Amino acid sequence: MSDARITGSGTASATATASRRGFVEGLLANRLIVLIVLLAVLCVAISIGSSNFYSVENIVSILRQSSMVLIVAIGMTLLLISGEVDLSVGASMAFTGAVAMSVMNATSSLLLGILAGLAFAGGVGLFNGVVVTFLRVNSLIATIATLMILQGGVFIYTREAVQNHHQIPTFPELGAGYVLGLPVPVVVAAVCFIVAWVALAKTTFGRRLFAVGGNPKAARLSGLRATRLKIAAFVITGLLVGVTGLILASLMNAGQPTAGRGFELIVVASVILGGTSLYGGEGTLLGTFLGVLILKVIDNAIIILGLNQDLQIVVPGVVIIIAVYLDQVRKKRHAT
Amino acid sequence: MQPDAAVLDRPATGGEPVLEVSGVRKAFPGVLALDDVDMKVRAGSVHALMGENGAGKSTLIKILAGAYSKDAGTITIGGKQADIRSPRDALDLGIKVVFQEISLIPEFSVAENIALEDLPVDRLGSLDWRRIRREAAALFDQVGFAIDPAARTGDLPISQQQMVEIARAVSQQARIVVMDEPTSSLTPTEIKLLFDVIKRLTSMGMAVIYVSHKLEEVFEIADTVTVLRDGKLISSLPIEQHDHASLIEHMVGRTIEDLYPRTREHTIGDTVLEVDGLKSAKLRDVSLTARAGEVIGFFGLMGAGRTELAKAIVGYDRVDAGSVRVEGQELRPHNPARAVELGIGLLTEDRKEEGLVLGMSVMHNMSLASLSQLSHAGFIDDREERKQSTSFVDRFRVRTPSIDRQVRNLSGGNQQKVVLSRWLMRGLKVIILDEPTRGIDIGAKTEIFSLIDELAAQGLAVLLMTSEMPELLGLSDRIMVMANGHVAAEMAREDANQEAILNAAIG
Amino acid sequence: MPPLADTARPSPPLWRRLAARNEAGLAIALVAIIVFFSFSSEYFLGAVNITNVLGQASLAMIAGVGVAMVFISGEVDISVGSILAAAAIPMIEIMNLTGSMELGIVAALALGLAIGAVNGFLSAYAGINSLIVTLGTLFILRGGVYLYTGKTAIPDRVYLDSFFEIGNGRLFGLIPFPAVIALAILAIFIYVLTRRRFGRQVYAVGGNAEVARLAGFDVKRVKFLCFVISGTLASLAGILLASRVGSAQYVAGVGFEFQVVAAVVLGGVSLSGGIGSLVGMALGVLVLAFVSNGLGMLNVNTEWQLVITGSVIIAAVAFDEWKRRTRTAGERGERAHGTS
Repeated sequence: MSDARITGSGTASATATASRRGFVEGLLANRLIVLIVLLAVLCVAISIGSSNFYSVENIVSILRQSSMVLIVAIGMTLLLISGEVDLSVGASMAFTGAVAMSVMNATSSLLLGILAGLAFAGGVGLFNGVVVTFLRVNSLIATIATLMILQGGVFIYTREAVQNHHQIPTFPELGAGYVLGLPVPVVVAAVCFIVAWVALAKTTFGRRLFAVGGNPKAARLSGLRATRLKIAAFVITGLLVGVTGLILASLMNAGQPTAGRGFELIVVASVILGGTSLYGGEGTLLGTFLGVLILKVIDNAIIILGLNQDLQIVVPGVVIIIAVYLDQVRKKRHAT
Repeated sequence: MQPDAAVLDRPATGGEPVLEVSGVRKAFPGVLALDDVDMKVRAGSVHALMGENGAGKSTLIKILAGAYSKDAGTITIGGKQADIRSPRDALDLGIKVVFQEISLIPEFSVAENIALEDLPVDRLGSLDWRRIRREAAALFDQVGFAIDPAARTGDLPISQQQMVEIARAVSQQARIVVMDEPTSSLTPTEIKLLFDVIKRLTSMGMAVIYVSHKLEEVFEIADTVTVLRDGKLISSLPIEQHDHASLIEHMVGRTIEDLYPRTREHTIGDTVLEVDGLKSAKLRDVSLTARAGEVIGFFGLMGAGRTELAKAIVGYDRVDAGSVRVEGQELRPHNPARAVELGIGLLTEDRKEEGLVLGMSVMHNMSLASLSQLSHAGFIDDREERKQSTSFVDRFRVRTPSIDRQVRNLSGGNQQKVVLSRWLMRGLKVIILDEPTRGIDIGAKTEIFSLIDELAAQGLAVLLMTSEMPELLGLSDRIMVMANGHVAAEMAREDANQEAILNAAIG
Repeated sequence: MPPLADTARPSPPLWRRLAARNEAGLAIALVAIIVFFSFSSEYFLGAVNITNVLGQASLAMIAGVGVAMVFISGEVDISVGSILAAAAIPMIEIMNLTGSMELGIVAALALGLAIGAVNGFLSAYAGINSLIVTLGTLFILRGGVYLYTGKTAIPDRVYLDSFFEIGNGRLFGLIPFPAVIALAILAIFIYVLTRRRFGRQVYAVGGNAEVARLAGFDVKRVKFLCFVISGTLASLAGILLASRVGSAQYVAGVGFEFQVVAAVVLGGVSLSGGIGSLVGMALGVLVLAFVSNGLGMLNVNTEWQLVITGSVIIAAVAFDEWKRRTRTAGERGERAHGTS
């Protein structure tokens, strides 16, 4: 965390970096290659262990599982690029489901339920953004606090799962239905991914996000409105959490207050695995996508290979440490 | 207080050689940073090490400091061949390097920092705080500083932190103290104090290696000057054998006739900037106006409030009172985005901290302030961005293999050109340049100067904050001298001279 | 020799230095909270209640000492909740097997120490970002606990009085043993951090690793030891919890790391290293514990306590931030020779 070093300007550092010509530019691409290779190796290994791995049902199931994490991970990538983090996503997701379901129960309207869910989750994002920017509370701490507030709040709101009383039939379709032969969540995730990718690569918003995360002072002096950008990133993350919360509630056909425990850690783990920096200004959505996929393929392997499902939380822990370690080794080798 | 006369009376050539560097070579991939360099430093003398950025000074002192290892050559300390493999080795051999960046723990007391290596403990191994303070106080008495050993180090001004570092060198029984651009953030008074300290150190038999860009300082303090250029030893001569011209010639390899070319006359137009009664913690009622095509030079000693004024004008720092108008339109306070919209840009003193996004490419850094103009409905026009960036790279001769190169890989001068390009691409009415040539080598400096001239010729109002007197006198149409947070004097270019400016600045 | 310049500035008087410290604000907040709740409930200020709060706060305080040290050294440890749960298993299992509480304790502490050593090795020596490392071990250990226990509690089958006592007993029939242990640990490590070379090295390493290295400190070793201390203390908290509930619970300590981190940061320990004190950390823990206890007295249920605790953290850190900003602005004004 502390990054103190003797700085001597001039030749030494300039020439040392000169040797890295092409490397720094290729860094992100290289990282992606590492992830792709890792994913490929995993797939081959698992398919040797189980012939079911490449079955259509299994791949669809992996994609469906991945899409929930990916949707939130997209928002988290944007946030980390802007130099902030949100640990309240899991708790917010659970609360969203409960809110959406009870509004649906009260109004019998699917649309109102969805809107209420999104509004709630977006509101949580806005709250986090305001606390972090205007009150200047470190986002790690601020969102841990929000996590506590939401976890307490959801139980005050409802002690038990909010069931789909009116049995609105279209609601379960959100999570379990298909569009063009693909599961709805996968389509939703794909749309979110493409939109976010374009936003990050092609728009002023994306560029500014990188600048604000990379050097907040320079960005501010260049006329960028860091506060707005960060709040926007928090709200986007919030809305994406809302989308995931709705899908989750739909899959369970209920708003479950205990859902989403530990979800924030899975999301952060996949984003970091994908190569997004913890310190802002650096990250790719493609990396995040691969990070999510790798963790979910492992999850899936544990199930289809008939292993103890509790391994599902052990393995991501091991993977993330190894991945970050290998990345560091690679960086060092190129740097010297 | 004046130091003893005896202290000032030091031998001109110094004593025995305490450090001998011979045939030192250091290569980085692609570059030979040091090529067969020799240097002989005598005890009790001040040895200046000079050269442009990239000449190899930093590499050499980092080798002495143990931060780099040499590829070939020998280093002899006190007659014995030395093997410096780590910073620790360097300290053990009696070499203490005081880098520009202070290496003290800001949270610790001064006394604790001084004793850091070897904090005294009692029989039980508990720290003996009283003894730590007492020993620091005794040390300060010995070297003649008046600093409170109990003060929190981070609360002291940089100059005093430097003194603490030097005192540490004494307590570590260093024989050679290397100072890397020690005056870069000091006021004239503090510089004088530092020079007195250096004289004391040499009178105690210590050798001082003084790395600096500043000719005046070198002529004042050094006994011997070693000049490096492109990693090679150019000369190592007693200072008496040099004058300004010869030293510059050795450094750049050519004679520079005029460092500050003024290529065209400025046509001065209408008032574009009106600053009225700015007040803040460090500004006392500052008002000024600037007109199109005009270069206003701001001079002030450290702490006079120039940087604060610059940051207050663009709304980066909060102000308590006052207003800023650009072409009649008032800026909202504490809103730099609005300032940029209205056409004021600030080029900060600290490029890496406040200017560049180091991880982004040259192109992205250049276009950062112009994204709105370069985009349609939020989508960046990639082709236009590339075209404009390329044209600035060509126009300013930014030395980079590609505009997609990360800006952190560029040299200081080229980085500065990138930040300047950012503002020119934005199309400003007023540009504030805060120490635009700090840490930039002489070649790049001249380029920056002609750029400033060009900016004014294009009709920008330029506010130039500089501590370099020749720069100030050479470039400005009008000079404002700041002292203690207000404008102490204002003079036209014709009436300005060094003495008048300094007199006003001292207040 | 005469001094070259009269640059000395007198130190401000003691009370001002104290008042400027972060701990002062927290202490005042703590007093205010206690006064507020003592008006709200007559039992609040009772010796029984106060000692109960101390007992409840003790686990977070013990783990907080280690986490604060890791933070001060410039690293992060968020694995303490899982260590807490993991350490309870050897405690109970070994005790059930051998009938010896001591062996159980030794085994549990050894596990905590080993986990801390792994965290420390990966962070300090392998150079992996410690947030990632401890996030990883957080997952791995929790999963390991699930795998080992099959998601059931492992009960204490030997019913040793001595084991019951360490978590539930009271010194002089008044102060809970966990609180006594917590205070002892706190005292020891306050001494270590302020009066031992190692303690100063922890601050130096976190404050400026390069300076510390130049001063000859083994930066990696110092960080490594902080992780080891943190792991060991977290396992001690796990032992006390196991004693209190009489079993090893697989869900024990879920979210505990967040509570501890919140208390540590509330106590003024910087996330970026080199700054903070154990006194501050302890006050942070107590503020959160008294708030939660006072709300309990008012029959506010635990959910509301979570909500209010979360809000208190935001308010406290926001206030601290605001205070810091106004103070540095003032200092800048005072200082004639800044770094303009």
